[in-house]
Amino acid sequence: MSAGAVRRGHARPWLSSRRGVLRRAALYGAVCAVCAVVFFPVYWMIVISIRPTRYTINYPPNLIPEVIQPSTYVEMYTTVPIGLWLRNSAIVGSGIMLITIVLSVLAGYAFSAFRWRGRGAFGLALLVTQMLPEALLVIPIFVIFRRMDMIDTLQGVILAHAAFVIPVSVWILKGFFDTIPDEVREAARVDGCTELGVLWRIMLPLSAPAVVTVAVIAFFDGWNEYLFASTFITSSQLRVTSAGLASFIGELSTPLELVLAGATMFAAAPIVFFVLMQRYIVAGLTGGAIKG
Amino acid sequence: VRTLERRGSVGRQRSLPYLLVSAVVLYVGVVLLYPIGLGVYSSFTRQELLSGVEPRWIGLANYERLLRDARVWRAIQTTVFYTLTVDLLVLSSALGTALLLNNRFRFRWLARAVIALPWAFPEVAAVLVWTWMFSQAFGVLNVFARWLLPVPENLPWLTDPTLAFASIAVMTTWKIFPFYSLVLLTALQTVDLDLYEAARIDGAGRVESFWFITLPGIAPTLGIMTLLITIWSFRRFAIIYLMTGGGPAGATETLVVQVYNTAFKFFDLAYGATIGVVGLAMSLLITAAYFAAQRRLGMGDR
Repeated sequence: MSAGAVRRGHARPWLSSRRGVLRRAALYGAVCAVCAVVFFPVYWMIVISIRPTRYTINYPPNLIPEVIQPSTYVEMYTTVPIGLWLRNSAIVGSGIMLITIVLSVLAGYAFSAFRWRGRGAFGLALLVTQMLPEALLVIPIFVIFRRMDMIDTLQGVILAHAAFVIPVSVWILKGFFDTIPDEVREAARVDGCTELGVLWRIMLPLSAPAVVTVAVIAFFDGWNEYLFASTFITSSQLRVTSAGLASFIGELSTPLELVLAGATMFAAAPIVFFVLMQRYIVAGLTGGAIKG
Repeated sequence: VRTLERRGSVGRQRSLPYLLVSAVVLYVGVVLLYPIGLGVYSSFTRQELLSGVEPRWIGLANYERLLRDARVWRAIQTTVFYTLTVDLLVLSSALGTALLLNNRFRFRWLARAVIALPWAFPEVAAVLVWTWMFSQAFGVLNVFARWLLPVPENLPWLTDPTLAFASIAVMTTWKIFPFYSLVLLTALQTVDLDLYEAARIDGAGRVESFWFITLPGIAPTLGIMTLLITIWSFRRFAIIYLMTGGGPAGATETLVVQVYNTAFKFFDLAYGATIGVVGLAMSLLITAAYFAAQRRLGMGDR
């Protein structure tokens, strides 16, 4: 999808008609209202994170922070092991990203570029696995991983969760590979490229946006992972941020501003990437699903 | 020599796609299909999570228990009701927002960025903020509720069964509708502008052009979206589990939360797996029903 097409917009004919001014005012009002509702929880997280707890556990709460205490963000690192947690989350994210990219680039290429027996069944199997609720499979996966001694390891979390990311990623990459004309591949092959050479030298550079999209999706899927991390991991050294933060829900012994500052740090990275890359990610996710 | 070479390359080409997908098939097979098999097997056994006792084959006993278990039926009802509520809320708010953002206005890029925020938000971080917003004693939502509604006291957002269900549905909608509105916005922008112009010349108003041009144009996207929202409502775990744990009194206990509670809170692994098998069958049924409907409507070859 080109950025131009989006920016140009679709001015509705009725907007430029007689009562245009009033409609414009209504439009701006409505947009502001939606944005306010959507943004409020984000704002509130930051507010709780920069004021002392006593202002948060107070009714009615002030909508504008009375005291701003940014030192929380420094204090957090010494009080809560947030640095360790974030590092573990990054490890899980990177692991899932690596496995996902390697496996789904290969499978996506096979799925897009070749006609082979079982291709249809493979696509259907991918769609079905995409629909499986991981919370329903966590019990048997737990039993199997316990036998393989992978409980209480980050590798276990990575291997369990990546399986739920790969099917979507194969579809996204297949959808993107499909848009590259066959002639490009033909030409490379005539020039003496092997099939894997075509994939490595032609297809991958051409589909860099899709690969980056898959990488971002996979990384943050791992970053946000909660189910397997909270079920598998018991040692505090291996705790990831989502499980660590979740242990604060409903408790009051840790100052709230520290917990919410941790949550803000945790949310910041995915927010930056998703907001910057929203167009690519939406296009990737829908391209695969809709064409599939 | 030439023919030999060519035959060799054809042979390689035949096996190459299998080679390329074999890694995924093997991996997904081990991590997904084998557990499904094991889950189905466990549902015919009796075993506890923490005891070292070997699982014992007990035939259909777990399923007989399940048929008589009112808790499971309640969870199925809750799941269906939750899915329908979220479908309705998300579809309407996503469509409304997408139609708004499809207008040309200043700072549209900013509005788009703001709308994308909840989508990017980690679930656990969102749960932390929302549980405080929903706090009966201190929650900021009480302030808004008392502005907008004739309520004299703070509301038991997460402790009253009905209200807790509504709170979870609202929080879920906040978290997921942004993604779908961005998807719909993309779809809206592929609708041919000339059609609107033609409709206007023919004297169609905005309701008619929405009904006869916009809606048919985005219908396939709406279909896929409904499937995705449904499947994801069915799958949703962290938000519900962390906000209410399925309570109060089971009011928000969907099937996946119940499976988790049964296995990891009551340590009844086999019975949890049995409920899980029912859940898996339901999710396959939803997918199959969707594809059957799609084929019947003739959208299968898109």
